[in-house]
Amino acid sequence: MKSTLHNEAFAPDGSLNPGWRHILGSLQQLGAAALLERDQKAKRILRDDGATYNVYSGNTSAGRVWELDLVPAVITSDDWSNIEAGLLERAELFNLILKDCYGPRELVRSGVLPPELLFAHRGFLRACQGISLPGEHQLIIHAVDMVRGPNGAFTVLTDRTQAPSGAGYALENRTVMSRVLPSLFRDSHVQRLAHFFQRLRIKLASLAPHQDEPRVVVLTPGAYNETFFEHAFLANYLGYPLVQSGDLMVNNGFVWMKSLEGLTRVDVILRRTDDWYCDPLELKGDSQLGIPGILEVARLGRVAIANPMGAGVLENPALLKYLPQISRQLLGREPRLASVRTYWCGEANDLDFVLAHLPELVIKAIYRGGEFRTQMGAELTRDQLTALARMINAEPARFVAQEMLQASSMPVLLSGEFAARPAVLRSFAVASDSGYAVMPGGLTRTGREAGARVITNQTGSLNKDTWVVARAAPTERAASAAADVRPLAAAHMGSLPSRVVENLFWFGRYAERAEAVLRLLRAVFVLLDGADVLTTNCRHTLLRAVSHVTTCYPGFCSDKAELLANPEDELLDVILDGARFGSLRSSLDAMLVCAEETKELMSSDTLRIINDIRDGITQLETSMHAGLAAAPEEALDPLVTTLLALSGLLHESMIRGVGWRFLQLGRRLERALQTTTLVNSLLGSALPDEDEAVLLQTMLLTLEVLITYRRRYRGRLEVVHGLELVLIDTSNPRSLLFQLEQLQKLVDELPPIGITSRELLGEQRAILDALTRLRLSRLVDLAAVDAQRQRNTLLTTLNEQRTLLQALGSLLSDKYFDHRAGPQQLVPASREGE
Amino acid sequence: MRYHITHTTHYQYAAPVGRCYNLAHTAPRDTERQTCLHSRIHLKPDAGFSNERLDYFGNRVFYFAIPDSHRELTITAESELLMHPQPTALALDFGTSCQEALQQMRYSRLPDVLLAREYLLNSPMIRPFEALRAYAQSSFSPERPLLAAVRELSARIYQDFKYDPGFTNLTTPLEQVLEHKRGVCQDFAHLAIACLRALGYPARYVSGYLETLPPPGQPKMIGADASHAWFAVYSPGEGWFEFDPTNNQIPAGQHIVTAWGRDYSDVTPLSGVIFGGGDSHQLSVGVTVARLSESRTS
Repeated sequence: MKSTLHNEAFAPDGSLNPGWRHILGSLQQLGAAALLERDQKAKRILRDDGATYNVYSGNTSAGRVWELDLVPAVITSDDWSNIEAGLLERAELFNLILKDCYGPRELVRSGVLPPELLFAHRGFLRACQGISLPGEHQLIIHAVDMVRGPNGAFTVLTDRTQAPSGAGYALENRTVMSRVLPSLFRDSHVQRLAHFFQRLRIKLASLAPHQDEPRVVVLTPGAYNETFFEHAFLANYLGYPLVQSGDLMVNNGFVWMKSLEGLTRVDVILRRTDDWYCDPLELKGDSQLGIPGILEVARLGRVAIANPMGAGVLENPALLKYLPQISRQLLGREPRLASVRTYWCGEANDLDFVLAHLPELVIKAIYRGGEFRTQMGAELTRDQLTALARMINAEPARFVAQEMLQASSMPVLLSGEFAARPAVLRSFAVASDSGYAVMPGGLTRTGREAGARVITNQTGSLNKDTWVVARAAPTERAASAAADVRPLAAAHMGSLPSRVVENLFWFGRYAERAEAVLRLLRAVFVLLDGADVLTTNCRHTLLRAVSHVTTCYPGFCSDKAELLANPEDELLDVILDGARFGSLRSSLDAMLVCAEETKELMSSDTLRIINDIRDGITQLETSMHAGLAAAPEEALDPLVTTLLALSGLLHESMIRGVGWRFLQLGRRLERALQTTTLVNSLLGSALPDEDEAVLLQTMLLTLEVLITYRRRYRGRLEVVHGLELVLIDTSNPRSLLFQLEQLQKLVDELPPIGITSRELLGEQRAILDALTRLRLSRLVDLAAVDAQRQRNTLLTTLNEQRTLLQALGSLLSDKYFDHRAGPQQLVPASREGE
Repeated sequence: MRYHITHTTHYQYAAPVGRCYNLAHTAPRDTERQTCLHSRIHLKPDAGFSNERLDYFGNRVFYFAIPDSHRELTITAESELLMHPQPTALALDFGTSCQEALQQMRYSRLPDVLLAREYLLNSPMIRPFEALRAYAQSSFSPERPLLAAVRELSARIYQDFKYDPGFTNLTTPLEQVLEHKRGVCQDFAHLAIACLRALGYPARYVSGYLETLPPPGQPKMIGADASHAWFAVYSPGEGWFEFDPTNNQIPAGQHIVTAWGRDYSDVTPLSGVIFGGGDSHQLSVGVTVARLSESRTS
């Protein structure tokens, strides 16, 4: 474990430092096999929790699973109290700078800060002048990235004030560690994280313009943001609804959440969307992540946004150069916590120095959101250095350079072996009434390589839980690890954003659609490859049913002889081609997208099954890559099983709230529609008895009632019996009538909107109509064949059912979901001088 | 002198607008030269919520949102204001020289000078470039008083450029304006500001109105039937001074200021976000600035 770099775990004489001794000793004692097993367990929990960090790239469907190292980062509580004092002071200082930037700007007036440093920074949002949160502090959350030097002291690399991420990941790390290494955790007397989040909750509530039962929401840019997992996780843990910009609107001078019950006023927003994107009226005009007018409401003090809009101005790394002077002016003393030595190229002397020492420095843009990526001078070629110098010379004020710090290393466990890696600690402070409260520890990330200079989640890093450990047993004992990570409040189940409900509805529909396609394909594959040779008519009817059920038209309905004779390519296509609407792949993808949008409502068991579906898709692609193998139906089996498990789980383990009802509505509606399509396409036209028997059998197999049928009717395959079982037998949970009855129940239980009356609602009418028509239909009529060899009554009856069911779907959607298109800028506005 | 200003903006949309959110910079701010007596905005349809405040630059901004579906929107801003008598012609041939101004901008620690440095920087619609500097340079010899140099720059723009509403639009870059020497008052103001910033002098954009019908015997000015724009330059130790390159004038009694900022984007008379509205709309703007008889009260 020795290396030339400083290693935090060891004293200069090579002995283990206190704090580390016990922990490393215990881990080593466990032995390689046990460590590996614990590591596997940790990975499983993280994956099941859906812990991901989405790396920006073309592929949006999968995030990178959060990687957690079993070796915690250890800091003794003596050491920590020093660090904490520095962090508290720094948070106070940054709060004062923020107030000054959007207030009197004394720092500029008095010449402490060069005007350009403030005025030219893109994070300085002039529209945010005049925003004032209640209480002493404007900066609610302050995060800091820091590294330890060889002397053991921490140096700050960066301050994060825009929408600092990582606190939720720290909590997830803690959750996993306390489950994977429970006794080590218990014996180490680790300081708890829960207090930090309690302070955050109290602070957020205190920001509300009115104090009785304030509504707090977490605003996320959406499921494809790199830290979306954390947004969902935090929202759940803190008990707040997770909303996207489309879930909120400004009306009548307030901010409202669109929920099923209508509009609910929002008092406080924990903001995870960068401020610049938040209001297309006053900030980024073409932003699709914004809520027009929200800045006006914030300035009026009718909604509190934390961190406040405009706080990104503090992320200017050039500030670090002036921090000692600022601290002297604002606090009357030097800062306790050192910052990395920083040169701002907007100053002539600094520019000269930087250009002369480029290979030794780290070059950053003053604004984080731009195109320029931080560069390490030492890693650049001569040509690259020249290009960089040219870029700096063109706009010097846009760049800072910082001394290259070698972070000290700490032990990590890599494939069962201990190694040493450089580490960065992100700490978090939250404002409270009297001052700030710092999370004990924070999020530690270690580099991939022993000498790694850049350690970020975008470039890939290993994460550690950070343990602030008492040398002796702490006075306040952590009751149990579990208590530390238990959610702080029950989620607001009552008022879900409409978007979430809509996604649950579609989640149900796509899941059912995928299942229907899978089942039919499975049955068709068995028959096509079966021992009995099918007649051409029968074969074509089966293939056409595939096109009808998937809606992948024209497909086999084109009646191209070539296609019908060699159906393999088309069959593969309706399974694998995600770009084709209605294909198995496209339904599964759509279902997964809906799952992402509703992640915060899914239990970890459900998330595990969703992961299995993801794996199932990959496996299917691999196994069908080279074409249809022998017995392709077997490749479909695992997915059918997984979807069944999902359906069972959602039925068994989801709270019967509004969300569940919409999910079930989606399922029932889709299943009913699928059944009508299947029956019509298989039995709509009458064929000779032998063929009809095959088609009937396919229908029964697909609808999972073949065994019931055989038991009940002793193998005599007759259409009239088949129709009874799949259409009107309510003891069969897959029959059409069963779906309709369930739909009726679900519709009746939906929350009323607007004025209630004794008259039936539109959706109640639609379902009652469908139910009555089906109940009044006679089996003999349905099975009857007319002169053109058609089952006309069957076709008409089921088509009526389809129309009514589709009407029901539209009614629900119009009434409960939000259909407003996104905003557009009113351009060109009037131009002056015309 | 008292003036009555009516500024009407009418939008007609291709499809209904479900909701809209807007900001208007149409109420004149108070300056040394003018006092706004009252100002109000009429909306059709009615606003669900509206609020007036002062923005970062001290301008009056009117926020309003219309919550109900509409196909047409009419915004009528009416103001009445008092113009104070101005001292006769400014003496521009004395005072801070170009060289002194540059020195002070660089080294002075006076708060006003430090704050004025904000107006040296690039702004959303103005990024100076070398050709502009080259164009402006000849007027700014080191010993010359800055304001005299700026007056010459303004006069040169007036002479060299053709007022041509058909040539440019809101997004025409300054490079094209300079190349073709055509544009409208907004372009000329932006161009002058860019020249000044390129040379190291702080400059800001001023938006306002001109009297529609001039006093007898005076020609009607360009830009009098719409909102107008010009610029101001900062001379260290002396303050801000306005110039109108479109009319080759030093704004005085007939130039009514509404708002100022770094460029047009800070003071857009009317901006907004709409939901719906289809993909096109028709816009008409009308401005009337009328002198009121001295005896009349509002």
